[in-house]
Amino acid sequence: MTKNAITGSPAAGPRLARLSLALPASASFGSFGRAVLAVLLAFAVAAIPILMAGKNPLVAYAALIAGAFGSLDNIAFALNKSTPYILSAVGVALCFRAKIINIGSEGQIAVGGLAASYVALNAGNLPPFAAVALALCAGMLAGALWSGIAAAIRLTRGVHEVLSTLLLNFIGVLLVSAALNGSLGEPGAGFPQSPLFDESVGLPTLFPGYDLHAGLLIALAAAIVGQILLWRTRFGFRIRLLGGSQSAAAYAGVSFAGGVMGVMLLGGALAGLAGGIEVLGVHARLIEGFSQGFGFTAVAVALLAAAEPLAVIPAALFFGFLRAGALAMQRDVGMPSSLVDVIQGLSIVFVLCAMGLDNRHQRV
Amino acid sequence: MDTLFVANLLAASVRIAVPLVLGALGGLLSERAGIFAVGIEGMMLAGAFGAAVGTFIGGSVMVGLACAILGAAGIAAIVAVAVTRFRADQMVTGLAVGILSLGLTSFLIRGLFGGHAPVIRLDVLGAIAIPYLSDLPVLGSAVFRQPPLTCAAVAIVVLMHLFLHRTRAGLTLRASGENPEAVFAAGNDPVRVRQIAVIAGGAIAGLGGAVLVLQDVGTFTDGMTSGRGFLALAAVIVGRWTPFGALAACLVFGAATAIEVRLQGVDLPVSSYVIQMVPYALALLVLAGLGRGTRMPQAIGRPYNAG
Repeated sequence: MTKNAITGSPAAGPRLARLSLALPASASFGSFGRAVLAVLLAFAVAAIPILMAGKNPLVAYAALIAGAFGSLDNIAFALNKSTPYILSAVGVALCFRAKIINIGSEGQIAVGGLAASYVALNAGNLPPFAAVALALCAGMLAGALWSGIAAAIRLTRGVHEVLSTLLLNFIGVLLVSAALNGSLGEPGAGFPQSPLFDESVGLPTLFPGYDLHAGLLIALAAAIVGQILLWRTRFGFRIRLLGGSQSAAAYAGVSFAGGVMGVMLLGGALAGLAGGIEVLGVHARLIEGFSQGFGFTAVAVALLAAAEPLAVIPAALFFGFLRAGALAMQRDVGMPSSLVDVIQGLSIVFVLCAMGLDNRHQRV
Repeated sequence: MDTLFVANLLAASVRIAVPLVLGALGGLLSERAGIFAVGIEGMMLAGAFGAAVGTFIGGSVMVGLACAILGAAGIAAIVAVAVTRFRADQMVTGLAVGILSLGLTSFLIRGLFGGHAPVIRLDVLGAIAIPYLSDLPVLGSAVFRQPPLTCAAVAIVVLMHLFLHRTRAGLTLRASGENPEAVFAAGNDPVRVRQIAVIAGGAIAGLGGAVLVLQDVGTFTDGMTSGRGFLALAAVIVGRWTPFGALAACLVFGAATAIEVRLQGVDLPVSSYVIQMVPYALALLVLAGLGRGTRMPQAIGRPYNAG
């Protein structure tokens, strides 16, 4: 009985989780080495378009590294960039474990940021801590709602989550634009953005004098909790079982619907939290397009981390520093920052190829 | 609701549907052979880039079309090799080449032309009137007076239908998506069939990107396909993996977008951004509405175990 993925039935789903399941401590160096190799290869291949554009790859990469690590300010900027990557990628990684490809982080971050902003703008009389907590909770709820829609459509109507979460991304991002051009927008700003939040409704900075906000700590905590959840709880065992073999899971009495809904809601809540942290911690207002590209980066990060929540931290830091360095590179030497997308896309392809090969070797 | 309004709406629906149709046909070919076509968005974008740069530098639309096909087929070749030789996950590979194309085209256009705003300006291809039919009232000007690539798209729909259902090679291709072991037993190599299908599908999707540049906008902008590849993918499913079904689905999405654009001119109580959501929401609703009834190629997403 071969069934297929878009109709949402068992079997023949993506083979990510099979590999990840076979990945406890002994194999973890293999996956780390694989990720490093994939990234190095991506840098090497990305030198081709740099040469095609008539530039020197070494100059470009030197500017990238200087931009990422050049000063404490740069490092703080890069750490802030990594924060939403960690949060949303932990969710994506947990979904991967259940063989669910949730590429909806972008939309979930967008609606999360929107909900958090709505609360932040209307939290006038609350004590600051309560206002921040309420805003972040609103973000989590909105994100969970957004991924919950995709999960519900998958479970009741059999529409594959890749398509539904993708379409929901477009709708979520447009919702932010609609709100900013409507009631949430700052009158006469000339750019679709909300008024600044009250200063008390912001995330505290970690070190005086640097723009590093406390969201990083929340993200690190989420990765640790995610790791414990995955490996030390019944729920984690269930989603690993679902990802490993749905027939075994069914035999063990693990509900497919419950597992899918659980990881999707969790992933959405984490992405929504990332959206809330981004608007409260970085911008102090809602800005159109603040969630651009997070969705795909989260998938890349989770893949590089081999769907291991703790390993998401270094993978997300890598992409955060890469993104920050690229922005500096564009500013300082005029090299287009879209180079990062090239490196990111290539890294994913190389990791996938390595994983696919691993799969074959395991099978033989 | 005068006839002119209806004719304009029809014409706009067709114009918007054409890139989707070509994208969907490309995706269809790949999916019928057993490979998920999530990379269509990236292939369309590479096609748009090739069409713009090729026409601008080569000075001829033909060079542009050749570059569109080459660029998109190049991206498709990455997918083909990764998913067949290396057994990479098909969905995520498709997404990855989407990011790759977005970055590569945006990087190269700045690298090649410098500055922040690329200065490619092309003349948009004019319409060709189909003799006799174009004289019909309403339908005539709306449907039977079309630019060349639109005519090509319709021709490809018919040709692909004939190819898939009336030729031996089409049968082999469909069998690779249903039961690759049987294809192997019959003396063909399913891996090769799938690679050719993905690359040919990429080339067709690349033409969809070329339509955007050569018939619609006359320039290249970053990420200009903006989700059309994914709508095309939805159209493949809604159209139940058949060329005419995909064509019909694309026309529906085209009509939804055309109506949405017209509504933006009218003073409505809802924001234009809410109206812009209509095609995506419609795609989601139609997919959900189809539900479990659809029957997709049985072996799709499953790597073939080459001996």
